[in-house]
Amino acid sequence: MRRAKALLVSVLLAVSALGATAQGALAYRGDVWSNSDSFTAHCLGFTDTWPKQLYSLNTAQIAALGYSPIGGALGPGFTRSSFLSNVFYDYAVYAHTHGDNYWAASGAPNVDSAILQDPGTGNCSSFSRDAIRSSAIKSATYGTFYNLVIMSTCKLGSSASTMPGAFQIEKTKSSTDRKFYIGYATLTYDSSQFRFESALWSYLNGAPNHQRTLYQAFTYAASIGGYSVPDSANPFQPNWWGNPNYNGTPGWM
Amino acid sequence: MSAVRTIAKVKPFLAVTAVVLGLAATAGPLTAAGFSREVSGSPGVPSSRIGEPTVTDTVLYADDSPDLFAKAGAVRDALGFPAGAARSGRHVKDGLQNAEYDEVADLDSAGQPISLTQFDGRGRLVSAVRFDLPPRLSAKVTSDQASKAAQGVLARSGLMPSSKARVEPNPVAGGWDVHWPRTEAGFPVRGDETSAHVWQDGRIQSVARVEHEVSALPSKRLGQADAKDVVTHQFDAWFTGRGSGYAVQNMDLEWVEPNAAFDAGKIGAAPAPCRLAWVANVTPSGAAAEVIWQITLYVDAGNGTVIGGDVVE
Repeated sequence: MRRAKALLVSVLLAVSALGATAQGALAYRGDVWSNSDSFTAHCLGFTDTWPKQLYSLNTAQIAALGYSPIGGALGPGFTRSSFLSNVFYDYAVYAHTHGDNYWAASGAPNVDSAILQDPGTGNCSSFSRDAIRSSAIKSATYGTFYNLVIMSTCKLGSSASTMPGAFQIEKTKSSTDRKFYIGYATLTYDSSQFRFESALWSYLNGAPNHQRTLYQAFTYAASIGGYSVPDSANPFQPNWWGNPNYNGTPGWM
Repeated sequence: MSAVRTIAKVKPFLAVTAVVLGLAATAGPLTAAGFSREVSGSPGVPSSRIGEPTVTDTVLYADDSPDLFAKAGAVRDALGFPAGAARSGRHVKDGLQNAEYDEVADLDSAGQPISLTQFDGRGRLVSAVRFDLPPRLSAKVTSDQASKAAQGVLARSGLMPSSKARVEPNPVAGGWDVHWPRTEAGFPVRGDETSAHVWQDGRIQSVARVEHEVSALPSKRLGQADAKDVVTHQFDAWFTGRGSGYAVQNMDLEWVEPNAAFDAGKIGAAPAPCRLAWVANVTPSGAAAEVIWQITLYVDAGNGTVIGGDVVE
């Protein structure tokens, strides 16, 4: 009897701990990927430091928004197989790398956007080897939902991009689901991406968690100006799709 | 569709399962140690996260900061932003943006911000933005009308740029972006500008001003030919033997803020005043062109050293 009581107390304690833990720390995984080996001295003669700066910024801020654990990788751990085998479990996905809207295998005018994996230590990028196509990502997601997707690359925020669809995010600005996609429509300087993403997180996470919406943070960051542009054909144009009232809270419900 | 929904339910299940498994893994130590447990950072978050910049703020009340709230109200009205049911204020130390500012937000009845205004330490307007969604079906103003609308409200808001406006359509947000680049001693200050976004119906969605501190002009200035020698020497050193070539597209004198783009040792360094530099835009070819569209190099116009730059990946 005493043993049964002790067991009951233990179970109750465990259940109450579960409740407390579940409320505060449901495992809503986020992955932050940044290709750095393409931009090292081995390939370019110099080391571009923006990939590391963007990785550090977004790793910290996506965690601060409530996603946990934060996986992904800076550098050689960012492989196609690692990305595709983990993406199903993610609620938030961030990638900083080279990205573009490429013709699909079926040919023009069909587009199958892609990002490039990190080529690995000692290697340099090759599209044929490193591309992670949006069609491959879509297959790996098995139709599951994503709260937050940020493609910190060139062009994957343009109307031609097929990347939002890979994560079941329709290219609409009036969704009522908990989802938000951010990308850049044009060729974009890394410094501008860093400035924009710093401002976005500053506004979103600069208040107690989930008081502000991603759309407000996006609008603030897009409005602060001061973005360098590579040329007049490529003005700085971040873009979003999803739910304008979504505050970044992880999870579906 | 039903298959998609079925699969979509798997992930929440996994989230809860992860918690249960986590509990199972910690249940022993929990009961044995009387609930004492170490709460560390999120698993998987690298230790580099520690020491990441943060945003801290102090609440400002209208009674204590009447000038700030009055100024914010005047800007809001000049820009045609709607007045909220309430207002809130705060002083922000923004480690992410390396900035410090006072902010006043107009709030709706649910406490959500509908617009905000930010002022720097000297009380000058830094940015103002409204958060309602842009109109989609209204009549469209021309670029000239957008420019005039922006100029009018900027004058009423105390921002009077002297340079010529550059107007660009914004197909993403709709409407027009109007930029007034800043120049100092006759040279553009890279990134510095007064800007406005005008909705397609002619209303102002946002205005902003970016202005960096500028150093003194160098006493002796590097000529363009010498600066180009620095650039070609640098790219020869970088690209030789790596299957990459390059072409210098253009070089212009600009004020630039030195940065850590090519020097990891400078990451996290305090912002330095802008220096006059030759800004070279270089297009790579060969292997480097697989991932890079353009490299921009800043060459100090005084001493010829590389003080930073930028990359379009």
